[in-house]
Amino acid sequence: MMATQTDAVRVAKASHTASRRRQKNSAGVFGALSHVALIVWTILVVGPILWTFLASFKTNPEIVGDAPLALPESFSWASWGRAWEKAHIGRYMLNTVFVVGVSTLFTMLFGSMAAYVLARYRFFGNRAIYYLFVSGLSFPVFLALVPLFFVVRNLGLIDTHLGVILVYIAYSLPFTVFFLTAFFKTLPNSVAEAAMMDGASHTRTFFQIMVPMARPGLISITIFNILGQWNQYLLPIVLLSGSVEDKWLITQGIANINTTAGYEADWPGLFAALSMAIIPMLIVYIIFQRQIQSGLTAGAVK
Amino acid sequence: MRQGDGGLAARLLNAKARKYGFIFSFLVIPLILYVVFVISPYAQAFYISLTNWRGISANPQFIGFENFTRLLDDDVFWAAVRHHGLLLLAMPLITIAIALFFSFLLNLGGGSRGGKMTGVWGSKFYRVVYFFPQVLAVAVVGVLFQAIYRPDQTGVLNGILKWVGVHQVGWLINTDLALWSIMGVVVWQSVGFYVVLFSAGMSAIPSDVFEAAALDGAGRFRLFFSITLPLIWDTIQVGWVYLGIAAFDCFALVQVLSVDRGGPDNATTVLPLEIWRTAFTFSKFGYASAMGVALFFLTITFAALSLRVTRRERIEL
Amino acid sequence: MSNSAGTPREITRRQMLRRIGLTALVAGPAASMLSACATSGGSSAASPTAAGSGAATSAANPFGVKADAPLEVVIFKGGLGDSYATDVHEPLYKKEFPKASVKHVATQQIAQTLQPRFASGDVPDFIANSGSDLMDNGALQTEGQLLDLTQLFDAPSLDDPSKKVRDTLIPGTVESGLIAGKPYILNYVSSGYGLWYNGKLFKEKGWTPPKTFDEFKTLCETIKKAGITPYAYAGKNASYYQYWMILITAAKIEGNQLLIDIDNLEDGAWTRDSVKQSAAAWAEIGKYMDKSYEGLIHTEVQTRQNQDKVALYPSGSWLENEQKSNTPDTFEYAVTPTPSLTPSDKMPFEAIRSAAGEPYIIPSKGKNTPGALEYARIMLSKEGAKGFTEKSGSLTVVVGAAEGLSLSPGLKSINDAQTAAGANIVTYSSFENWYKELETELRKQTNSLMFGRISADEFCAKMQKKADAVKADSSTTKQNRTV
Repeated sequence: MMATQTDAVRVAKASHTASRRRQKNSAGVFGALSHVALIVWTILVVGPILWTFLASFKTNPEIVGDAPLALPESFSWASWGRAWEKAHIGRYMLNTVFVVGVSTLFTMLFGSMAAYVLARYRFFGNRAIYYLFVSGLSFPVFLALVPLFFVVRNLGLIDTHLGVILVYIAYSLPFTVFFLTAFFKTLPNSVAEAAMMDGASHTRTFFQIMVPMARPGLISITIFNILGQWNQYLLPIVLLSGSVEDKWLITQGIANINTTAGYEADWPGLFAALSMAIIPMLIVYIIFQRQIQSGLTAGAVK
Repeated sequence: MRQGDGGLAARLLNAKARKYGFIFSFLVIPLILYVVFVISPYAQAFYISLTNWRGISANPQFIGFENFTRLLDDDVFWAAVRHHGLLLLAMPLITIAIALFFSFLLNLGGGSRGGKMTGVWGSKFYRVVYFFPQVLAVAVVGVLFQAIYRPDQTGVLNGILKWVGVHQVGWLINTDLALWSIMGVVVWQSVGFYVVLFSAGMSAIPSDVFEAAALDGAGRFRLFFSITLPLIWDTIQVGWVYLGIAAFDCFALVQVLSVDRGGPDNATTVLPLEIWRTAFTFSKFGYASAMGVALFFLTITFAALSLRVTRRERIEL
Repeated sequence: MSNSAGTPREITRRQMLRRIGLTALVAGPAASMLSACATSGGSSAASPTAAGSGAATSAANPFGVKADAPLEVVIFKGGLGDSYATDVHEPLYKKEFPKASVKHVATQQIAQTLQPRFASGDVPDFIANSGSDLMDNGALQTEGQLLDLTQLFDAPSLDDPSKKVRDTLIPGTVESGLIAGKPYILNYVSSGYGLWYNGKLFKEKGWTPPKTFDEFKTLCETIKKAGITPYAYAGKNASYYQYWMILITAAKIEGNQLLIDIDNLEDGAWTRDSVKQSAAAWAEIGKYMDKSYEGLIHTEVQTRQNQDKVALYPSGSWLENEQKSNTPDTFEYAVTPTPSLTPSDKMPFEAIRSAAGEPYIIPSKGKNTPGALEYARIMLSKEGAKGFTEKSGSLTVVVGAAEGLSLSPGLKSINDAQTAAGANIVTYSSFENWYKELETELRKQTNSLMFGRISADEFCAKMQKKADAVKADSSTTKQNRTV
């Protein structure tokens, strides 16, 4: 950065020091206030998550008791054992990773293929297909639940992960196509044209030229899809029934243990299960936070 | 393919065929998936809205627009519409305002250093932490805030208030407060994401713009309102669209958090929740589908807004 | 995958084709005629022998169960748990039919799990249709999805073949499961309802359960001074516990006919004096509740009662079992009937609401309906019922099944109350199952009444308005009861 700094700016800066000093007092107050605001929000964000971990070690009377902020009297892992055994969090987590991984991959592949064609090729029906995709954004998913169940069932895919994956892909397409179409439109034409001149096929141009160019946009939509599909709750309930508990996804597991906690009043077990669902996500996020942030950055600014 | 003595016309024809072949091959799988799993169920739901189907047998009775005329004097439906509108307006507004404030602090709040605008001390840390809630599943967040918003002194928030000496607040049982409390959860979860999003927008602003403004003696507020805000306006619009879509998912939170699912006194009910209840509790799929169709046309307006945003982007190119 | 196997898949494909093909295109009055014709074959197949899976019937096998036919049982896993099914009833069934496999499905989201399966025709054989997400039995019956249980109640009892099953049950059990005049629901659990309290605490403090509402208010004052919340229920998800109390008091004033009239959507039933007086009296008691109870769920309030923070709590006889793991030694459940309101009450103070609850249903289109009927007959045997009480801590509708079991303090208390009540039984309410919309409205308005947002008059007016709306709704099939 230093290298790009022009002399003019350097000169200007020197003469500017005086006025900056004048501003310093107000800046001090401003700085202090802004730090207070930032720290308060940090507490707001971290507090509830920490509280969940703590609550998992508490006893029932401690959680329902009068001192919600107190530390647990003794640290017991019993509730974690119960939650692990009953809630099968580990199993559901693996199932979810598999389903979301595969479906995000194919969502991105199919979504970008469709978006690319819709963004950069003129043909009859282009607009119609585009609006068909976009209209999918404005209808509540669960109204389609019962008819959807039939469709999946008649294909013999009910209670299978493949069924869930196909449905996830289909329901992620409107959003993916909508944003990637906009994104592909912003990419310059020249490179693709040059490649075509050199005799590259349409397909090759797409995979070898356009996809790498669209990488930032692809990454940010990928993140969206992962978050969205990871959080899906309604679709798995309908598509993976109670008779295939071993295929359940994480949100089903959490909802289940929440209801069970309601009937059996096992709050520590509930919070232990929540912690088990939270921790892996946080770890994954912290490991990949740089990529996620830069992905979002590049995708969003365009 | 290129063999033979093909003249210009033939070659063009060939190119055209290849182009359409390519378009077809790229569209066919996504379209089939989409039509089979999304459009066909939706189309059926539209038809169901004209019937009195109870969701069980396969013989829905066609009743024309009766469901829609009944919607007109359904108080609960209109309460849900009002709340949905409020969610579409207020929730994005609050989230974006908070996120803008923080991203300004984190990117430009530190003043200029070495010719480059910097954020306040520790901004990297904050950016990472603020994103935490975004990676939590809605199911987790709902259960968590149940404990936080608990209305007596055992609730986490009320516990803190008691500590400060304030009397306990009925976050979710006060009819004036309940919807805002639920909105607060959505804001809590989303702010971090938009901080990152807007930070990206701000870091893309060339630093000499700020330098020039600073030379003119512009204070932080002017820096923010007359430079930063206009320059990242497009990013904000994209954020608004994301948040509008997120407003649809609120119903999971309402279902877990609110009194009697949408209460007290319909204070927190939202359209998706009413549709859900009408369909799955009352077994009135016909009527529920009619609500869904109404919601569809309501959000067409929203979709129009989304489309305007994308058109803008094309113009800029 | 197991769900999609077998013949129902063919039917489903046909239905599917019809729905997207025919009905979507011929979107006119003709469409309903077409579909009505096309399904007429399906909905009439209500008798088990029509399913084609039956074997020959005999005295020992009255329903003609095929020895190797698999049976699928769906159990709502709530307060009663599901071990009574896995450890008692299912093993008993297997003992009778060793070659049959029993598939056990436990769920808490009955409606979400089963709605699509009903729509597709691939239904389980036997269902415990309970919980907050249960399926609308009225709608199921209207659609011809429920099996008429007359043959079950007329079959010989497993314990004494000379008796019919219906004669081994507490009177009123069969009637409580009537829809459109036929028994479609087996209400298996016998529940007593009243105000529950800690017997030890009341003894220690010298408090006696109130017999009238005046005594109730005086007691509330006393309890309040002791630093305990006198009365509470959970507004967030269990306001129905409270509306039971309002209806019981109203029925004590006017007699059971009121509840029958409410079920029959009689004009002006909700605005009668008895309902108004009851609502007003309970709203007074509501003032002793902390506002925060509107935002708590039932287990939270119940745990507070176990900690002696709440004195009286309205609920049913399952309460003790539900709180088992949270009840300290200092707590001993006891129950008292709801207080009398006026000197001219039709029913005495001792009158108690006692009803067969926990609906079990047999889908008419199940693959093994004879097996399901036999499974129900096993549940209604003394051995099955006793095992149920042992596992779930709740009494059943089978007379004398709990004999020889040592009852817990709470169960003993409700048993005594029922004995004291004798024939003075407040009847059940069927609108809860028949008209879910009315029930949802009642939950909502009960909270508004008890937490002081509306008056008793407004409460009655709003309920009457909803009842009228349900009555006028042509898409809801009306039910009727005479007893």
